[in-house]
Formats: sequence, C-alpha cells, structure tokens
Amino acid sequence: MIRFSSLLFFLVSNSIFSILEIEILKGSDNLSKVAFVPFGLESGIEENYGSEISKNIENNMLLFGEFENLAVNEMLSYPSSENDFYYRDWKVLGVDYSLIGKVNSVNALGNLNISYSLFNINRRIKILEGEIVGSEDNIEGISKIISNRIYEEITGLRGIFDTKLAYVINSDAETYQMCISDIDGKNEQILFTSKAPIMSPDWSPDRKKIAYVSFENGLAEIFIQDLQSGERDSIQALGMTNSAPVWSPDGKSLALVVSFSGNPDIFLYSINNKRLIRLTNHYGIDTEPSWSPDSKKIIFTSDRSGSPQLYEINTKSKRKKRLTKDGNYNARGRYFPDGKSIFFVHGNDGNFQIATKKLSSRYIETLTSTSLDESPTISPNGNIIIYATKDGLNGYLGGITLDGKSRFSLPVKNGSVREPAWSPLLN
Amino acid sequence: MEPIGIFILAMICQVYSCAANVSDSVERMQYASVAGEEYLQEDKLETNLNDKVYFEFDKSTLDAEDKSLLEQYLPEIKKAKIVRLEGHCDERGTREYNLALGERRALEVRDFLVVKGVSGKKIRVVSFGEEKPLKSASNEKAWAENRRVEISLY
Repeated sequence: MIRFSSLLFFLVSNSIFSILEIEILKGSDNLSKVAFVPFGLESGIEENYGSEISKNIENNMLLFGEFENLAVNEMLSYPSSENDFYYRDWKVLGVDYSLIGKVNSVNALGNLNISYSLFNINRRIKILEGEIVGSEDNIEGISKIISNRIYEEITGLRGIFDTKLAYVINSDAETYQMCISDIDGKNEQILFTSKAPIMSPDWSPDRKKIAYVSFENGLAEIFIQDLQSGERDSIQALGMTNSAPVWSPDGKSLALVVSFSGNPDIFLYSINNKRLIRLTNHYGIDTEPSWSPDSKKIIFTSDRSGSPQLYEINTKSKRKKRLTKDGNYNARGRYFPDGKSIFFVHGNDGNFQIATKKLSSRYIETLTSTSLDESPTISPNGNIIIYATKDGLNGYLGGITLDGKSRFSLPVKNGSVREPAWSPLLN
Repeated sequence: MEPIGIFILAMICQVYSCAANVSDSVERMQYASVAGEEYLQEDKLETNLNDKVYFEFDKSTLDAEDKSLLEQYLPEIKKAKIVRLEGHCDERGTREYNLALGERRALEVRDFLVVKGVSGKKIRVVSFGEEKPLKSASNEKAWAENRRVEISLY
C-alpha cells in the first residue's frame, strides 16, 4: 500500500518560465474605458511602489479583454487625491472610470498603507474608496485585492484575479505535466511529471488539493495531491478504469467513474471512510459527472440513448432527467455557478464546440467556432469560460467572456496544453 | 399516540436504510487493479502479425475483417501468459467519454477472444481514451489510425 502513497518531488518553477500568457483576439468596440492613474507617493518614500501597483491593477483589469485602458502618456493630469481630481480631464478623453491612489506610508516592517478611489466619470461621482495595508513583498497580492474590488464595483460580479488555473502540459510523447498557475499565467508550479498521460484535474473547494487521473501504472487511476506537501494518494477502486473525479461542494466526497468489469458508472466516494456508493447502474457508458452548486444533483454524460447526451441525477432520490436532445453529441456538462444553466461540448456536423443551455429552455447556444473544442471550465463568477482546443498539431487554451465582449487565447510556448480547470474563489 | 408514532417512524427508517444498503450495493475499496499490471515490467512477446484492430467513430463493433485478423492471431494469443488489450480513440469528442469508449472497444475484442476459447483470466483490458494517439494530425486518416485496440502478448 505504501507503493501508492509515495511522496513525490514538488517542483516549484517560480518565474523560470511562465508558460501561459493571455492574448486578446477580439475585443468589443464598446468596452468601458478605464484610466489607471499612476498611484502617488507620500514624500520620503523612495521605491516607486505607486506606479507598480497601478500598472499591476491595469494588467489585471485588461487580462480577459473586458475593458479598454487610457495610456498613461495620454492623461492630462496625474491626481493622487480627490482634491486634485477634475472630471473634465477624463470626460474629454472618453474615459468611463478613473482609478487614483496613493502610497501613504511604509513602516519599519515594510508594510505599505495604500489608499485608492474609483470615479464614475459619466455620473460624476466617486463610487469606491478604500484603504489597504500590506507587505512590500506582496505588491502583486495587494494589487489583486484592489483589482477585485474595482472589478466588483464596475461589473457587479465577483473579482477573480486571485484565482488559479490547473492544466496538463504534454511537451512530447513521453512527457506529461500536471501544472497550476495564477490565472494570469504567473507563478507556475509543476505538481507532477510523468511519462504516461495525465487527465481530468479538479480543485478541492478549499484549493488545497487537486484530484486527477494518471496512467503512470499502466491504467487510469485517480490520485489526490496535496498542494502544500506535494504528497499524492491513489484512490484504489475495484474496477478496471477509474476516472473523472470531481469534488463535492463540501469537499467531503468525490463523484467519480468506476468501471467494474467494463461497465462505467457514476459513484460517490467518501474521502474519510473510503466508501463507494453507486449512483448510476446502466449497461451504457455513464461518465463525466459534475455537481450542481447546491450539491443536490449531478450532471453526467450517458450513451444510454445511443449517442452521448447529458442527464442529471438527484443524489438522494436517484431520479434522473435527460437534459439534452438536439444533436448526436452533448457531453461533459458542468453547471453555471447559479445552477440555472449548463455548459458542455456539443458535436455538430463533425465539429465539437462549447455550448450553453438554460435548464429551463430547449435551446442550445454555441459559443465557440473552432472544431476540436473540449474540457470547458468556468470562472467562479460565471462570466468567463476557458476551454481546450487545437491548432495544427498543438493544443492550446481558448477563452471567451459570456457577455460576448472578448475572446482570448492562452498558447503554450512548447508542446500542448489541455484540460484547464479553474480554481474556486478563496472565500 | 406519540411514542407509537415515533416507533413506527423508527421502523420505517430502519427498513428504508436496509433497503438502501442492498440496492446501493455499497462497495468497499479494494487494492487490486494496479497490482495486476506487474507483467508490464516483462518483455512483450514478438509476433509477425498485425497487432491492431480499427473502429468507426463513436463505435465499438468489430467488422468481419477485424474478426478474421483476430482469428489468425489466435494460436499466438493462446500461447501467451497475458494478453493486454489497449483501447484507444481519436481526438474528437470529450476525453473522459473517450476513455470509456476505448474500454468498450477493448472489451469487444476480449469478448470475441473468449468466444474463440481464450481464457478470460489472462486478458487485461485497459483504455487510454484519446490520450495516446499514434498520429497527432487532425484529419480523417489520422483519426482512423487512432481508433484502435492494440494487442500485446506477454
């Protein structure tokens, strides 16, 4: 049994190479324009933390192509306090929002005190005012907190700048890597390197562990890896193939697929007492489970009708309901964070694309236009989907905002990147 | 009335939970599958025959050609200690579904071999889904080569 819980080397490759970098492909013409005014400094502060912070915030806010910026050299003034702020300076430049701020002090422990204000230029009011204290070693973290607050104020959606992405990199036929990075591609960590395929990563709700499937022992096997210690544990089920693990919203169990004597069905696996409870029992293929946000239902793919279609099952009553009927390939469904819609892979005329559907409606809406799209994952605020696709021989990640304002891609520098999994928010 | 009501409720709960235990067929974790793959450390047996059978998209049925190929293979398969059947898919469709589909394909080959007198005990069925394509291009030719079951003898 020791064989299955070996401690692996936990490689950290901070800033050695940032593999993913977001490239905006298509922005909308009517994006809100934001001016990120370089933050001011109280006299006596030597390091120029001010511009570093406002530049970080600007990079964050522009990350997914949801906003347009005003270049610093086009600004007519550089206010750092409300007293010096004049709406007309921004109105004439077509700015919708202006962010100003100031580093007020740095104490002996290296803690910065920063204040900031966000103005709505069209309505001529200050809409947000904040103060934050943080270490000078954590400028990135401070910038993310401010970015989240102004994003929430402008969009009404939760900010996602401190979320992370898990993904699999396949750099050649013999090298597979399970990786995580910040959502902007920075601070990449390689959790596990293998000569055999790795697939299906999923974050625990507390973001401390990742479950995934590895073929390192010659067959599909589910592992749970602790991100702090790097320790890996195998979930040994009885079946031939164990796959598609997804954490329950309370983090206490996994929904997963076990194929006993060749018939894949959905099971619930309780992490504490290591028990399996059968959820589906059908001779067809049942796979790709995922929990509803209220954890009452599980969506899954089944070919029981003759082609892969999406179903949901109530985990208590075991009552099942078919969710898709149009087309002969609807698979790997996931619920939106509000539980009212689903997104999935829709096969249409030989093309496989990412689609959404309201549970209350029959209508399927296709979001992407490439032909080999798969593994969609949604931002915790429900506004952005990242998915895997392919261009020539290489796999890369694509992204789209659900308001249709932006499309972007996250190419990898060498090899293929696939199986993106967006982390939950840290409450 | 009340104590009786509670008693009845308790009885119902008990009956219900018993029923749930039976119908759910709660299975204890067992450590079996990976340990069974130790033969992979040994060398494969060499054979001159084509060691692959191919499939249609999203299908796992064997056609006459596949069956005659497997028939030619039978004497060698019967001599082997372990027969490993690895199911694979093309890249189209979703990864986890393809993992199940690859298993389906390998099982189809297993069932055929068992019918032809090969002992099911020495057959190992494994699926790699779309994870190990032979050809990485995205066209009909590459996809057709990737939808396969590979037969290895040990």
